[in-house]
Amino acid sequence: MVFSELYSAYYNALAEIIKQAQREPLTAARAREIIGNTAFRESAVEITDAISAERWQVIHSDYTTDLKYTPTMPLTTLQKRWLKSVTLDRRSKLFGEWDFPELADVDPLFTDEDYRVFDSYCDGDPYDDRDYIHRFKNILFALHHDKPLDITFHSSKGKRVSVTVRPERLEYSEKDDKFRLYVMGGRFGSVINLGRMEVCEVHDGRNYIADRSHSERPRELLLEITDERNALERVMTHFSHFEKSVEKLDDLHYRVKLIYDADDETELIIRVLSFGPMVKAVAPERFINKIRERLIKQRNISAQKRVADFFSSQLFCAGGRLLRLLKTTAGFRVCGTAGFKVFLVRNFFSVKKQEGFGIV
Amino acid sequence: MAYSELIKNFQRVRDYMRAFYVFGFKSRDEYSKKSGRSYDNERRRIESWLGDYMRFLKTEEGKSVFLSIDSRAMPENPLYKAFKTSSFTDRDITLHFILFDILRSPDTALSAPELCERIDGYLSGFDEPIEFDESTVRKKLKEYVDQGIVKAQKDGRKVLYSRTKEGGEIPPYMLQFFSEVLPCGVVGSFLLDKQTESRHIFNFKHHYILSALDSDVLCDIFIAMREHREITADNYSPRFSQAKQVAIVPLKVLISVQGGRQYLIGYSREYDQMRSYRVDYLSNIKIKDVAEDFDSLRKWLKRNEKHMWGVTLRNSMRGYDKVEMTVKIGDNEGYIINRLEREKRCGEVEIIDEHTVKFTAEVFDASEMLPWLRTFICRVSEFKSSNKQAERAFWNDLDKMYELYGIKEG
Repeated sequence: MVFSELYSAYYNALAEIIKQAQREPLTAARAREIIGNTAFRESAVEITDAISAERWQVIHSDYTTDLKYTPTMPLTTLQKRWLKSVTLDRRSKLFGEWDFPELADVDPLFTDEDYRVFDSYCDGDPYDDRDYIHRFKNILFALHHDKPLDITFHSSKGKRVSVTVRPERLEYSEKDDKFRLYVMGGRFGSVINLGRMEVCEVHDGRNYIADRSHSERPRELLLEITDERNALERVMTHFSHFEKSVEKLDDLHYRVKLIYDADDETELIIRVLSFGPMVKAVAPERFINKIRERLIKQRNISAQKRVADFFSSQLFCAGGRLLRLLKTTAGFRVCGTAGFKVFLVRNFFSVKKQEGFGIV
Repeated sequence: MAYSELIKNFQRVRDYMRAFYVFGFKSRDEYSKKSGRSYDNERRRIESWLGDYMRFLKTEEGKSVFLSIDSRAMPENPLYKAFKTSSFTDRDITLHFILFDILRSPDTALSAPELCERIDGYLSGFDEPIEFDESTVRKKLKEYVDQGIVKAQKDGRKVLYSRTKEGGEIPPYMLQFFSEVLPCGVVGSFLLDKQTESRHIFNFKHHYILSALDSDVLCDIFIAMREHREITADNYSPRFSQAKQVAIVPLKVLISVQGGRQYLIGYSREYDQMRSYRVDYLSNIKIKDVAEDFDSLRKWLKRNEKHMWGVTLRNSMRGYDKVEMTVKIGDNEGYIINRLEREKRCGEVEIIDEHTVKFTAEVFDASEMLPWLRTFICRVSEFKSSNKQAERAFWNDLDKMYELYGIKEG
């Protein structure tokens, strides 16, 4: 069972308080600090009240304890089963060998047979590739020990680039199924796709100072939703990972404000388009114009296609009319005569051609 | 009953959190048709757990409360906090810590009477010691045996209890990563709570954190699935605004990383049909008997998965919807071909000429593809489908979009 007091923040807070009380005399103020780090806003009142009233009889009102050992709890079956599922995921190799014999006989909570992400892109990073794993481990090491990295990668334009950078964090996109490394000090940008890396080694230790860091470029987008075909719920869930607010305009219309990174604008345009007429961008003008540009281009392609279809259908109709004409006796006679005359004329010119140029 | 930030039942707060996070425009009056106090309590709880992300907006209809979280800026899912709020009694927490202090290593094995005697020793220092009778201790021990943290073994006529083995240290970065990307990731978060704080090195793009609220339901579904068992569940229907009990043979969970939803694909005996159920609409899962036909149903699903664009399944005897889209690409726009190849979930991409690419597929439901097809607006020269309704919807929606953005028909 996932929802159990065994995993509760209060149990964790009390374990931490006991641990501290076993080490040194504890004050109520220090206990409140511990609670603030392990539980919630109002927890300090509830927990310190329980301790003062000695309702939880593992710690006295003066914050001393009779427990002899640091509080610990073995892993639950649920935790073991989930961990077993982790070990079966192909991405787990990225984190190195991990010895946990207790999991040997444990049934996983789920495997690839039991679930599937059905809409991630199919050109994800090569998690089984030994070189990729080696580079990933180097990145983990550098991040953990705050070391610079020497990286050679292929830019989006196909150029081979070598840089020394200080890694900041790894970003994973479930949709792209790719990792990207945010770095400081990169001459060619502050984000490097792991899939584009050729070499990634920990820098040899000489002093390295990185000055440039990645800076977000937040932008605001206003959308108007028409709540037909359950659009409101679909849109709000789809864009739920952004910082956002929503306002009801009337029973059918809602206005949503999203904050997004400027680097992701093209992706966001595409995502807005995917909702069709249910979602309209209403600000900023630049964003609206980009959508309009696409729609105008689409209208022109559709118009060209209609013209092409019109002419081909006219041609088809003319062919049809000729066939119908051939089916009548008079029509057959007219077409036969015309055909014979064409044959005579063609033959005449053909003979002339042979005489004139001597080509067979 | 006095207010507490801890809760006994997760379902009610699950509904409120979803409403605050997904919608967030409703005022108190719209929530509190049943009970205003209930709304106030849930809002106060959520504010206590997630106060940093709570926002308020004043409108003519009243004050609306919502959760606004940029999940890309979060190294860990803040909604997991909701699963760490289970209520307990003073006796529960006291017994828990004393029991594990007595059973300090897997080698310490004691019977229930021996444990009771030792527990009394711990409590004797308090002015009004709690009294634990043997049956209470046995009940708690049985609960812990079921949870896998205590082991019971027979020694003659006695049953001896000991703690289970601890296990090795789990790499913290592995936990940080998988607790965000795997189903039921909240379990990883429980494990992280027990570790000493490490630097957070990951963040997650396109990260749908709301599915965390379905962890309890999903976990029960997986447990049933692993044992090939049927389940019953309350399935909420927005059309009827109420839940109906359904019996399902759970076969596979499908997760969307572009829409943020999770679905259970299962077989309904009642309708003799494969169906998809939204996991966020399911609650009150009960694990039932073993489904003897589990393997054959899963085989059927596996055979047909290649025709699923989204989550719709139907009897293949009715045939598939044929879809054909032709897109125009300009000079140096080869990346559009890459996009088609990368983003297609089934079907074929065929290069017709330097500037023309055709995508074809046979799917259960062509209308599921429309959102994706619309992402190619500005290039679509042809779209045809044997599902005429879907074909009309595509072109009609396009006309509506021209109108919406003030573009005259060419």
